[in-house]
Amino acid sequence: MATLSLDKLTKVYRPRGREPVLAVDHVSLEVGDGEIVGLLGSSGCGKTSTLRMIAGFEEATEGKIRSNGREIQDLPPSQRDVAMAFEGYALYPPLRLRDNIGFALLRERRPRSEIDQRVAEVAGLLEIEDILDRYPSSISAGQQQRTSLARALIRRAPLSLLDEPMSQLEPQLRAILRARIKDYLIQNRMTTIFVTHDQTEAIALADRIAVMEKGVLEQYAPPVDLKERPANLFVASFIGEPPMNIVDAIALEEGGRRWLQILDGAGNPAFRVALAGQASALPAHGGLEPGVKYALGIRPHRLRIGATSAGTEGLTARVFSRQWLGDQTHLGLELAGCSFVAVADGLVPVQVGEQIAVALPLAALHLFDRASGTALRHGLDAETRAA
Amino acid sequence: MSMRKTNPIARALRALALLLVGLFFLFPIFWVLLMSFQTNQDILRIPPSLFFSPTLENFYAIISGKLVTSAGTLEVPFMGNLLNSVILSTASVAVSLLFGVPAAYAFARFRFRLGEDIAFTLLSFRFAPPLLVVLPLALYFQDLGLNNSYLGLVWVYQLISLPLILWIVRGYFEDMSPDIEHAFRIDGHSWFATFMKVSIPLARPGIAAAALLAFIFCWNNFIFALILASADKQPVTVGALAFVTASGIQYGQIAASIVLSIIPTLALALYAQRYLVEGLSLGAVKG
Amino acid sequence: MSDLILDRISKSYGKTQVLSEASIEVKAGETVVVCGPSGAGKTVLLRLVAGVVEPDTGDIRIAGRSVLNVGPERRDVGMAFQNFALYPHLTAFENIASPLRARGLEAGEIKKRVDEISKLLRIEHVLGHTPRELSNGQKQRTSLARSLVRGPGVLLLDDPLRNVDAKLRYEMRLELPRLLRNFGSAVLYVTQDYKEAMALADRIAVLRAGRIEQLAPASAIYDAPESIEVARLFGDPTINLYPIRPEAEGGAAVVRLFGQTWRLPRGREAAIDRDCMLGLRPEDVRIGGDGHPGSVAFELEAVTPLNVRGVLYLRGPAGEELLATVPERDIGQFGRGHRRIWIDLPAEKLHLFDRQSGARIAPAAA
Repeated sequence: MATLSLDKLTKVYRPRGREPVLAVDHVSLEVGDGEIVGLLGSSGCGKTSTLRMIAGFEEATEGKIRSNGREIQDLPPSQRDVAMAFEGYALYPPLRLRDNIGFALLRERRPRSEIDQRVAEVAGLLEIEDILDRYPSSISAGQQQRTSLARALIRRAPLSLLDEPMSQLEPQLRAILRARIKDYLIQNRMTTIFVTHDQTEAIALADRIAVMEKGVLEQYAPPVDLKERPANLFVASFIGEPPMNIVDAIALEEGGRRWLQILDGAGNPAFRVALAGQASALPAHGGLEPGVKYALGIRPHRLRIGATSAGTEGLTARVFSRQWLGDQTHLGLELAGCSFVAVADGLVPVQVGEQIAVALPLAALHLFDRASGTALRHGLDAETRAA
Repeated sequence: MSMRKTNPIARALRALALLLVGLFFLFPIFWVLLMSFQTNQDILRIPPSLFFSPTLENFYAIISGKLVTSAGTLEVPFMGNLLNSVILSTASVAVSLLFGVPAAYAFARFRFRLGEDIAFTLLSFRFAPPLLVVLPLALYFQDLGLNNSYLGLVWVYQLISLPLILWIVRGYFEDMSPDIEHAFRIDGHSWFATFMKVSIPLARPGIAAAALLAFIFCWNNFIFALILASADKQPVTVGALAFVTASGIQYGQIAASIVLSIIPTLALALYAQRYLVEGLSLGAVKG
Repeated sequence: MSDLILDRISKSYGKTQVLSEASIEVKAGETVVVCGPSGAGKTVLLRLVAGVVEPDTGDIRIAGRSVLNVGPERRDVGMAFQNFALYPHLTAFENIASPLRARGLEAGEIKKRVDEISKLLRIEHVLGHTPRELSNGQKQRTSLARSLVRGPGVLLLDDPLRNVDAKLRYEMRLELPRLLRNFGSAVLYVTQDYKEAMALADRIAVLRAGRIEQLAPASAIYDAPESIEVARLFGDPTINLYPIRPEAEGGAAVVRLFGQTWRLPRGREAAIDRDCMLGLRPEDVRIGGDGHPGSVAFELEAVTPLNVRGVLYLRGPAGEELLATVPERDIGQFGRGHRRIWIDLPAEKLHLFDRQSGARIAPAAA
C-alpha cells in the first residue's frame, strides 16, 4: 500500500565534547509496494538510526525520504502514516493488553465489535490470546514484545516499521510465528521494514535485505542473492549459519594448466584447485592473474563429503568436530592445514579423527579480491561470468 | 516529538531561567564571601554596596586568635575550634566506616531474621530530631563522665554518620553483582579475602560518596556539640557563637570563620569527586 | 580426575520449588549438558555444585566425597559465568591467575600456566588489558581461561555463549569440545539452546520445572524423546503436535488426521483408545507427488528460509497448522502466494505421547 524511497539518507551524531559520529552514510534504496525489507547488521551499523529517521524520531542530517513519491523527512511522525513496534515495547502500563493492542483502532473510532475481532485475530496469530486481560507489568519480556508487535500489526498501516521485533521470543515459537507473521504481512499487502541483528530472522522474513556495516549499505538484495552472490567478503561472512568458509588463494600456472593454490593459516601452500573454462584463460580474457592474492569462499553445505568432483580430485580431510543437530550435521574438517565447516542433511556416520574424501565443486567456489573484499566471481566453472 | 532546529528564543529563555536559579542559590555564599573582606561598618551600611575597600583584618583576627574591639581584646579560639571539627568529623567517619561497611555488606548479602527490621531501625535514626534526645543524653553523659570528651562526641556523632554510611553503601553492595564475589570464592579464596580484595575495592566509589556526605553532616552538626561539649572541645559550628560579643555582633569575623570552615569540606569534595565519577560501569560484568 | 554426583537434589526459594529430586552423574572427561527453558533451575544447579548455595535435601559428591557445607574455595571446582564475572579492577592476566594465587603457586609457575592457557584460547595479546577494554568475545574467553587454568576436577559452564554474538557463538561451539577434551574435567554445561546441547554433550539432561525429564545421549533425546516437552525443546522448527485417538482397524492401530486414515507401524497397539498426542518433525514430512493415494492436500501459505533449509507453513483441510522443511535448493519452486501442495506422513517417523501425562508411548518390542 505504500512505496518508500531513501535518497542518500545520512545521519551524523554530534555528541558534546566528542568526535562526530557518522551513523548512516548516504544510504539509498527503494522499497516496493507490499515488500518486506530487513535492515540487517551488527550493533552500531546504523540500521536503527535509519529506521528512526524513516519513522520521524530522528532528524536526517542529509538526504530525502519519500513515501509514495511524497517527501516526508520534514514531517512529524504522526503525519507520516506509519505503524511502529519499538525495541523497548513501550506499552501503556495502565491499560490491559487488549486495550494496548486496540488503542489505535479506538482512536480511529472503529466499532467495538470490529476492534474485538481484529484484536482476537492478531492475538491468536502471536499466541497471546490467553493473556489479553492482563497488564504489561505482569507478563514476561517475550509476551510484552509480542504485544508490542500486535499493536503495530493490527493497524495494517501502509508502512510498518518493526525494531528488533522478535529478539526476546522463546526459541520454540520462533519458526511458527515468523511463518504466521510473514503470511499476515503478505496477505494484507503491508509494506514493512524491520531491523534485526539476527541474519536467520532477516532471511526468514524478508523479500530483500539491506546489509549494513558502519553506516554503509553493503548490499541490498533478496536472501538467495546474498547467499549465492554476496557483493563482498563482509556480506559473505556475515550471512549464513554456519557462515561461508573463506581461505586465501593464489593463481598460478604450472604444467600448462592454471591452478588456484589454496594457502593455509600460516600462508603455506595447502592444496590446489584445477581451473577450467574461462577462469583458466589469460587475465585479459577474464582469467585470474597469476601471483595475485585472492580470497576463496565456499558455503558449508556445498562441500561434497565422501565424493570427488572435477578440479579437486583426491582431497581427504580429517574430521576434527562432528555436531549432529537432528536434521543436519555440522562437520569441522581439517584439509591440509585449512579449517572448513561442512553441513550435510541428517546424520553423517563419521567419527571424530577419521579421514574422509572431500570435494570442492568449481561451481560452488566464490572468488573475492583480497585487498578490497569485493566479489569477483561466483562459481569458477566453464559457464561462469564475472560477479 | 519532532526534531526541529531548537527555537533560539526558547534557548535564550532557558539560559536566563537557569541563570536566575543559580544566582538565587549561590547569592548567600557570594555575599558571605564579600562580608568576610569588609569591616563591620561596611557590612551594616544602608544601603548595602558592592563597592568597598577590602580588608584582611577579619581573617587576621580569627587566625591569630585575638579580636580587638571597642570593649577590649578578646581571645578567639577559632583555630582550636577548627581543629576540633577536623578531629571529630574524621574520627566519627572512620568509626562509622569500620562498623558500617561490614554491616552494610551483611545487610546486602545475607538474609537473616529481622534483618530488614534492624536495618530500618538503624536508618530511622536519621529522622529522629536531635533535640528530642540531646537533653537526656546530656544527663547520661554527666553520669558516665563522657561530658566534654572526644570519645563521647564521636560516639554520639554515630547517630549522624552511621545511618548514612549504612544506607548508601548497602545500596551500592546490592547493585554489585554477587557473581564476581562468587567467582573469587570459587577460585579458592576465603570469605574474608573476598571481602577485602573484591567487595571493598569495587564499592570504593560508594564508600567514598558515603564517607564524604557523612563528613559534611558531622562537620555541620550544631546541637550535639552545643550541649555536650564545652569550650575546649567545641567545633566551628558552635565556635561561631563567640562572635556574638558584648560590644555587638562581629559579622565580619562570623563571615570569615564561615569562609574558613567551608574550605576543608570543599577541598575534600573536590578530591573525592574522582572516585564518585568512577561508578559501576567498570565493564567486568555484561549488562 | 574426579566424578561428580548429584543425588536427589531439591531446592526451593520461598514457595517456589526450583529443583525437585534432581540426580545427575558426570564422569571425569565427560560433558553433560543441562538443557531446558528459561527459569531458575539450571543456574541454581550449577551454584549448588559450586557451593555458593546449599541444597535443601540431597547430596553432592565430588571425587567420591560429599561436599555439602564445604565452602566453594575447597571444592576443586572451576566456573565460567554467563555474564563473565571478571574482576574489573584487575588485568586479564590477574583475572586468570587468581585461582593459582589462591593456591599459593610461585610467580614463575603462575606466569607459565597463564601464558599456556591464554595461547590456547588465543587471548595472549590482551593479557595486559582490564575487562573494560576487552570485547565480549575476549571477556568470555578470559572467563573460560580462568575456570580452566587450575585444571579443576569439575568444570561448570553457565551458558557461556549466551552473551556473545552469533558468529562468535558458532565458532566457539565448534572449538569447545576440542578444548574441553584437553583437560579431562567432569563438565556440567548449562544452556537454553538445544543445538548447543546436541553439539557439545556426551549426554543431555533435560531439566523442566525443576525435574530431570530425560538424561541420555543426543540421539536418544532426539529420536526417542520421553515426553512431549522434551520433543518440543529439541528441533527447529518445533515438532508438530496433534491431539488424536488411535483406533483398532483391521488388526492394526490407525489414526484419523487431516481427513485421512493413517496406519501406525506395528507395536503401537498400546495406544489404541487412549487420548494421545501425535508428534511429527518438520523434516520428516514428505512433500510432493501429485495426489497419490495416501497423500493429503494442504494449502501452502508462506515460505520462510531457515539457514540451509526452508520452512513451509501449511494449512490442512480443517485449518490445522503444519510446518515442514525442505532443502534450500527446493525453495525456489514455491513462489510468494498461496498454493496447494501434497504431503505424506511416514508412519515410522511418528511419535506418540499420552495426552494426559505427556509421556512417550514407546513401540512395543518386536
